Amino acid sequence: MATFPPLKTGAVAQYPATKSLRFQNQIVRFVDGNEQRYRDSAGPLHQWVIRLDQLDETELASLEGFFLSNQGSFASFIFIDPWDGTSYPNCSVASDQLQLTSVEELHNTASVTVTENRG
Amino acid sequence: MYPQLTKEAYSQFPLRKQRRTRTVTNMAADGSSIKLADPNGAITEWQLQYEGLSDTELSNLQQFFAAAEGSLNGFTFLDPAGNLLAWSEDLTNAVWEAGPFLASAGGATDPFGGSGAFHLTNSGEGAQSVSQTLNVPAGYIYSLSVYVQAAQPTTVTLLLGSNRAPATAGPNWTRIGFTGSGDPTAASIVFGVELPPGAIGVFGPQVEAQAAPSAYQKSTTGGVYGDARFGDDTFSFATTDVNRHSVTVNVVYANHL
Repeated sequence: MATFPPLKTGAVAQYPATKSLRFQNQIVRFVDGNEQRYRDSAGPLHQWVIRLDQLDETELASLEGFFLSNQGSFASFIFIDPWDGTSYPNCSVASDQLQLTSVEELHNTASVTVTENRG
Repeated sequence: MYPQLTKEAYSQFPLRKQRRTRTVTNMAADGSSIKLADPNGAITEWQLQYEGLSDTELSNLQQFFAAAEGSLNGFTFLDPAGNLLAWSEDLTNAVWEAGPFLASAGGATDPFGGSGAFHLTNSGEGAQSVSQTLNVPAGYIYSLSVYVQAAQPTTVTLLLGSNRAPATAGPNWTRIGFTGSGDPTAASIVFGVELPPGAIGVFGPQVEAQAAPSAYQKSTTGGVYGDARFGDDTFSFATTDVNRHSVTVNVVYANHL
């Protein structure tokens, strides 16, 4: 399985980086105000927002090629959490859209949101 | 064919490029999903912002826009942020034409520490080449670059149309380049590397429609888009001074069109 492409430095993210985790809980509310809550999933799903700046053209092309080879949000890949090094084996790009900006030579920017899939 | 600026460039910074794909997703209540890809639904968009265009350059763009009738008619567009060559790390792909006595072995260590380089061995008596023909206007300015490496100093020749430029490959990976243009009346041009009998390492051939190479960009489909269109039916520009104009152009390429 493919792995999210690292930068030339070996890092996969830059500051500011964002990470979130999301549970899937359900709430049943009763007429008297009581409620019951239950888990509707096996556990949390993680999401990372990778904002990249000062990329050179090689790094940008690598990211673009990765997005295209995954057909956007379709395919799954392994993502290594840059916070703790945990390997998440079933992740995909969250969006079918990738914006690449060339500010000047050797200065390109892009932003990718990676989301963990269930199942 | 989208016009090249007179300053031998195809676009200016900043340049925005957007890739869009289409995935049909059926999301279940527990967060799991079933996905279906739609390869034909992919769209690529470029936003080209020009500043300081001369009267001639603006006129060329405007005439081209008028000839295309805005977003109506398609044209060939060269990705200004990409490698025009296809399959830059697979010299055995059918898009590459190799001489009969040229053997290609992939998986060699490349200058970036990966394994994308090729080991080319010419077992013939004369020079052999590996080349790719692009259906682009040969009269534009192109920059061809490639990394080469050889155990002994070896003279290799870069091919750009009918132009030839010798360069030396040594024990260390070296990026060699050549800028030029071909026959202005031709609708295609050949780019390649020719090597004498012996063996050399080759990595990252790249062609760009500009006067000097930028950093290497790996390619698969290549950067020639044969049926791109303007994204708008409006062409508006601002004149900021004598012989200085600015304009923003949107170009769209859709796989399904």
